[in-house]
Amino acid sequence: MKYKESIQNKGFYFVLPSLIIYGIFLIYPMLSAFHYSFFKWNMISESKYVGLKHYIRMFGDRRFWNSYITTLHFTLISVVIIIIFSFLLALLFQERIMFKNVFQSAIFLPVILTMVAIAVVWQFMFQSTGVFSNIFLDIFGINIKWLTSKSVTPYSMILVNVWKITGYYMIIFIAGLLNIPNTFYEAAKVDGTSYLQRLFYITIPLMKNTFILAFVSGVIFSFAAFPQQYVMTEGGPARSTEVLALLIYKQAFEFTKFGYSSAISVAFFLTLLIFSLIQFKIFKSESDY
Amino acid sequence: MLKILKYFSLVLLLVIFLFPFFWMVVSSFKPTSEVLAIPVNILPKNWQIDAYTNLSNYTEYDFTRYFINSFIVTFFAVLLAVILCTTAGYGFAKYKFKYNNLIFIIVLSTIMIPFQAIVVPLFILMRDLGLQNSYLGLIIPESLTAFGIFLMRQFFYSIPDEIIESARIEGASEFRIFWSISLPLAKTAIFALVIFHSQWVWNLLLWPLIIISSPEMRTIPQAIALFSGVYFTPYPEQLAISVLACLPLLVIFMFLSKNFTKGITLTGLK
Repeated sequence: MKYKESIQNKGFYFVLPSLIIYGIFLIYPMLSAFHYSFFKWNMISESKYVGLKHYIRMFGDRRFWNSYITTLHFTLISVVIIIIFSFLLALLFQERIMFKNVFQSAIFLPVILTMVAIAVVWQFMFQSTGVFSNIFLDIFGINIKWLTSKSVTPYSMILVNVWKITGYYMIIFIAGLLNIPNTFYEAAKVDGTSYLQRLFYITIPLMKNTFILAFVSGVIFSFAAFPQQYVMTEGGPARSTEVLALLIYKQAFEFTKFGYSSAISVAFFLTLLIFSLIQFKIFKSESDY
Repeated sequence: MLKILKYFSLVLLLVIFLFPFFWMVVSSFKPTSEVLAIPVNILPKNWQIDAYTNLSNYTEYDFTRYFINSFIVTFFAVLLAVILCTTAGYGFAKYKFKYNNLIFIIVLSTIMIPFQAIVVPLFILMRDLGLQNSYLGLIIPESLTAFGIFLMRQFFYSIPDEIIESARIEGASEFRIFWSISLPLAKTAIFALVIFHSQWVWNLLLWPLIIISSPEMRTIPQAIALFSGVYFTPYPEQLAISVLACLPLLVIFMFLSKNFTKGITLTGLK
């Protein structure tokens, strides 16, 4: 018994390297963000304790709230569209289709393209003489300012985001659909149910976990968006696409307000934390994983 | 009729999803005068590779160097990630040491720490360690993936304890069991981890922007972001370098597309 226990404890040495590295480079910086948010400093002069000043300032800062709402708007609309769209695609690919692989690979292609490169080409297509603007003008007869209108540009950003990651979630949903035993459908067919009935009473309830997972990971991914906005708009026009990650970057590395930037980081972290906790709660009550 | 509609929408989707990439490639072979001309030419009137050859004329950008940097960083960050994730995943899955579950939950909860939220303190830490403008400064933070630990742990669970136990009876050391029995069994999961993580590291922009200030240490996404931000950079050149940046991942995808989707399935469901 004693011998067994000493072997079991050896497992700790396998875990130790990760604990050290994650501790130093992930957990410590996260705790420091809280710490730094109470100090005013710019790397050059001595740092100064300012208490809750940064938080008070943040709550009254219209630029922060604009950024916060911009990020929420971008995230929620993107994720809802992506989930519905990719689920429909997965359903479509359940059917017998010629050249299925070709179609699937095409939809998956944007997933593996470098985000910065994607931002460059979409920015190019969105130019007033770019191909996307022109096609739109030819078909619908309206000239849309994809990157220069405060009301349109946030949706241009969502469009690119949807285009980029739909393929990824399509594959997740295809895998989820394959996990549903065929016997369920056969039994339902014997009972004379319609396609839509089977969809709403069998497929969707059984896919609940996949939906939750897709939602959580989609939110975490989109909430952290940065390269796209950095390259395509730099947060403009009129700060309509200044997402939180971009604001954190600008506050720290353009305005050298490290303390204030850290306070925004904390708000960013807490938002995702609260969101994830709610999700985990749903997760826990719904499944036995 | 329904069938026609189905294929029509599929072809439409195909065009929509492929077009931007197609457009990036063909436009990079056009001369500057043609690239934003109206009416739009789909294919270049005369194909030319000037945009690619011109890249070497921008003396303040050494793109070859940036590619090498990106390769080095991606390779070592992924290697380190594999080492950390397999060892930790194995330890969590196959040993019942004290506080195993508690420690695992703490590690897993770091998934919720968004990288964007820690960049400022991480930058200060790396600067204090003297790792600014170094490969190590890029590699270490980019090798962290709590998700990878989770993935490997789930995978090692599926390996029967009897295999390990019988090796122990034959007197193999714990590390030897891990190295020559358990690791080879985990090939599929490691493969998935490598594919996912290399894609992630290759594409990172924010961290290089922060930790790298000296031009010769830039990574390729960082260089493209800076290059395309310069007002007088012609579009064909921007697109040419973008095409080149996408190539390595495209090649990997072409050869390993089966593993790619398998990997997503593996990571997506557990």
